[in-house]
Amino acid sequence: MRSAQAMRMETRAGIRVEVYHYSTIFVMAASLLAVVIQAFLGRLGSVGEFVELPLLVTIYFGLSRRNASRGLLLGMTIGLMQDGISRVPVGLYGISKTVVGYLSSTIGARIDVEHPLSRLAFGFIFFHVQQVVLAATQRVLLGRPVPFFDRRLLLASLVNAVLAPLLFPLMDRFRKAD
Amino acid sequence: MLEVPFRHRPLLLLTVVLLIQILLLAFQIRRGENARLIRIWAVEIVTPWQRAGTWVGSTLHSSWKDYVDLHHVRVENQQLRNQITQLAIRNQQLESQAHEQERLERLLNFREAYPSVNMLAAEVIGANADASSRTLYINRGQRDGLTRDMGVITPEGVVGKILEVFSGTAQVLLINDKESGVGAMLASSRTHGVVKGLGQMQLRMDYVPNDEKMSNGDAVVTSGDDQIFPKDLPIGTVTGAGGGNPFKTILIQPAVRLDRLEEVLVLLSRDELAPQTQGRDSETAGAPTSNAPAPAGGAPQ
Repeated sequence: MRSAQAMRMETRAGIRVEVYHYSTIFVMAASLLAVVIQAFLGRLGSVGEFVELPLLVTIYFGLSRRNASRGLLLGMTIGLMQDGISRVPVGLYGISKTVVGYLSSTIGARIDVEHPLSRLAFGFIFFHVQQVVLAATQRVLLGRPVPFFDRRLLLASLVNAVLAPLLFPLMDRFRKAD
Repeated sequence: MLEVPFRHRPLLLLTVVLLIQILLLAFQIRRGENARLIRIWAVEIVTPWQRAGTWVGSTLHSSWKDYVDLHHVRVENQQLRNQITQLAIRNQQLESQAHEQERLERLLNFREAYPSVNMLAAEVIGANADASSRTLYINRGQRDGLTRDMGVITPEGVVGKILEVFSGTAQVLLINDKESGVGAMLASSRTHGVVKGLGQMQLRMDYVPNDEKMSNGDAVVTSGDDQIFPKDLPIGTVTGAGGGNPFKTILIQPAVRLDRLEEVLVLLSRDELAPQTQGRDSETAGAPTSNAPAPAGGAPQ
C-alpha cells in the first residue's frame, strides 16, 4: 500500500493547512469497508440506525484531501454503494453524500480541521447536512414527508459527532505528511 | 470549446453529478398510475412547450385563416355590393317596366272598352321648357295621322289637345295651361260650363250659375261642346266653390296627374265614347242632361 503524501497550502484566510494524499486502494478499501460495516450494523437493530460510517468516511476524506472534485466524486461513490445495499432508490444517498463530500472538501481547504473538536463539530454538522439533503430529496422526488430534524436525528448526529474524533485518528495513520 | 474557470470546475462537476443522480432517481421512482418520475418530468417539461407550440400554431393558423377569410370576405363584400347595386338597378328597371306594363295595360283596356273610337297610343318624350306654359311632346306626329285639336286623354281622364303637329312628334297643350279650355259639365247635375287652366295644378270651371248646388268631390266631365273631346270623359273633381258675379268660381283637381304623364291616347276621331258593354250603354243613354245655357264665350279653345 502506498503511503499518503501531504503538502502545505495556504488558505484564503492566510492559515496554512496540510493537504494529504492517500493511496487509491486505501480510499477504495476504506469506503467499501464503511459501507459493508454499515450494512452489518443494520442487522443489529437500533445501533445501525444511529451510526453512519459511510458519512464519516466521506467527511474524513473530504476534510483531509481538501479537493472538492475528488471529495464530491468519492461522496457520490460511497453514497451509491450505500444505495445499492439499501432498499431506497439508487441516488438518494448518492446525492446527499455528493453534497457532503463537496462541502467538506471545500471547508477543509479553508480552515484547519485537525483538531478533535473540529472533527466532532463537523461530524455533527455534516450529519444534519446529509439529513437535510436526504429529506429534501425524498420530499420532492418521492413525496414522502421525511422530517428535516427530530429527536432521533439529534441523537444520531451526536453519536456520529462523537465517533468522528475517534475514527479519524485511526484513518490518519494511513496518511503521511511531507 | 467553452472554457470553465479552474475554481468553478468543482461546482460544475457537482452540478453535473447531482443532475445525473437526480435523473437516476427519476428513472426508478414511480408515481401515480405507476408512471416513472422521469416520464412525468418529461411530460411536464415537454407538455407546456407542446401546448405553447400548439397554441402558437393554432393561433397563427387561425390568424392566417381569419386574414384569408377576411380578405375573401372583403372581396366577397365588394362583389355583393356590386351585385346589390346591379340588382337594385335591375329591380328599378323591373318596377319601371311593371308600372309601364300597368299603364299600357290600362291604356289597352281603355281602348278595348271603346273599340268604336279610333285612338292612338303615344309616349310622352318631353315637356316644354317654358315655365309659363303647360305643354308636352309626344312621339306621334303627322306620319301617324295626327292633326291639330285632336284630344289627348288617358284612362283616368282628359290631358289636353294637340297644339302643333310635326312629322314625327306633336305638341300637346295641357288642360291646366292658361290658354286651355275644355267644354265641361258637372257629372251629377249635368250643368255645363268651361274648364280653364290656371297655369297651376288646379283648374277652374266657369259659367256655372250661382244657384247651382254642388259640393267638394263632385265629378266634372267633358260635355262634348268643344267638338274636341267626346262626352263624359273625366276632367277632375270639385275641390272648392264660391259665389261670383254672375257665375260661381269653382276649383277643380284634375283627374290626371298632369306632371307624371308617360303614355297618352290621342283621339283620332271625334266619335263619342260608347262603351262596349250593354250596361254602360244604357247608363250613358240614361244620363241626365243639363239645361244650363252654353257659355257665352262660344266654343272653348
